[in-house]
Amino acid sequence: MSAPSPTPELGDARQRLAARQTALAAALVAGAEIPDGFDERRVAIARSALLNKRAGEVAHAWPRLAASLGPRWRPVFREWAAGRPPRGSLRDGFDLARALAVTRRLPREAAAELAEREGFWFYDGLRPPRRRRWTPAPVRVPLGRLRVYLMSRAMPASAASDEVPGTK
Amino acid sequence: MAVEGLDGSIGVGVGWRPEIADTLAALPVLPFTEVIAESVRPAEPPPALLSLLERGTVVVPHGVRLSLGGAEPVAAHRVRHLAEVAEALRAPLVSDHIAYVRAGGLEVGHLTPVPRTREAVDVIVDNVRRVRADLPVPIALEPIAALFDWPEDELTEAQFLTEIVERTDAPLLLDIANVYANAVNRGEDPTALLDALPLERVAYVHVAGGEESDGVYHDTHTDPTPPAVLDLIRELCARRRPPALMLERDGHYPPADELRAELDAIAAASGYPRIT
Repeated sequence: MSAPSPTPELGDARQRLAARQTALAAALVAGAEIPDGFDERRVAIARSALLNKRAGEVAHAWPRLAASLGPRWRPVFREWAAGRPPRGSLRDGFDLARALAVTRRLPREAAAELAEREGFWFYDGLRPPRRRRWTPAPVRVPLGRLRVYLMSRAMPASAASDEVPGTK
Repeated sequence: MAVEGLDGSIGVGVGWRPEIADTLAALPVLPFTEVIAESVRPAEPPPALLSLLERGTVVVPHGVRLSLGGAEPVAAHRVRHLAEVAEALRAPLVSDHIAYVRAGGLEVGHLTPVPRTREAVDVIVDNVRRVRADLPVPIALEPIAALFDWPEDELTEAQFLTEIVERTDAPLLLDIANVYANAVNRGEDPTALLDALPLERVAYVHVAGGEESDGVYHDTHTDPTPPAVLDLIRELCARRRPPALMLERDGHYPPADELRAELDAIAAASGYPRIT
């Protein structure tokens, strides 16, 4: 195949497309207004379907968190995730479980799952989780880190993790 | 014309997923399968997939995260990974979507439609050419199911897709369930799109189920293939039968009997031999 030769026109086209795609993406996953001209009802349906799909993926990655909430899983997840860009199932589950722990809404079974993950992963709430080299015992969640997490809600979108499983 | 990358008549297949690996391994024959490319470590492909390869199954790595329709060229590490997976699985071709999945640092988490404008076509064509230049095999392009359209759309779906595959000389991965979903959601006739697409470029076809909710048809891959989609397979194969048709299931995996019945229905609709 011939080597691509970028032109100035293509560069401009990329910039315009980037602005439009970002505005729509922000409406779909970051709580931004739906850009003018779109069918608002349809985009809202897509936004809602994305939340349900994401709830299913996070439930897969955090089975005890989802199971312990039973029928409340989906509404709890949707309420937490609405307007919050996806950061991958592992991280989304971490963030949600920690948030529920802070407000004492994390069921015991889910707390056990969170404690296991806290032991396995180092996660500061800002950067993607990394595997710990050793497992601390006993495992506990440092409160300072939870505060960092709560403040991190306002973090810039550019820090969103790339590792989002399954787009299909 | 033979479609570059896949030959003649391969038959019916089903997408390989770890959850149904045992059911697939138990099939007497599996001519064709696909694996989510991002889930494969090239140095260590799943052993169950390697056993299928040994049995002669054609395995196509299917990307879901290249974001070929994105405003940025595809990142080199993603193309490299796809190339390595293709080599590890001796794949005759790879595939991904005409869609974007990230923009401005946001991960959407799903295949999102791109505007059908001439400008977007130029960007996508450039993206695909760059990716193809770094792959050992062709990349088939799959149109997606869209719940909404862009206000600036200038081209029909058929014009948009034809322009992209012809300018990139890429094979087409036609998702017949997406054709159905888009037609239902736009109030159009799905066979009109089949008549307008370059069917000689179709390398293989995806088949899947969906569900209707909120007054729109969602392409879920978690429901059985509806009769209307099977009818559309008949319509497609009457025009030109593609080399392979493949069932996609991504969750709510049915018992083995139901999965086999669905594969039989696809075989019957396409005229390919049963694989059960």
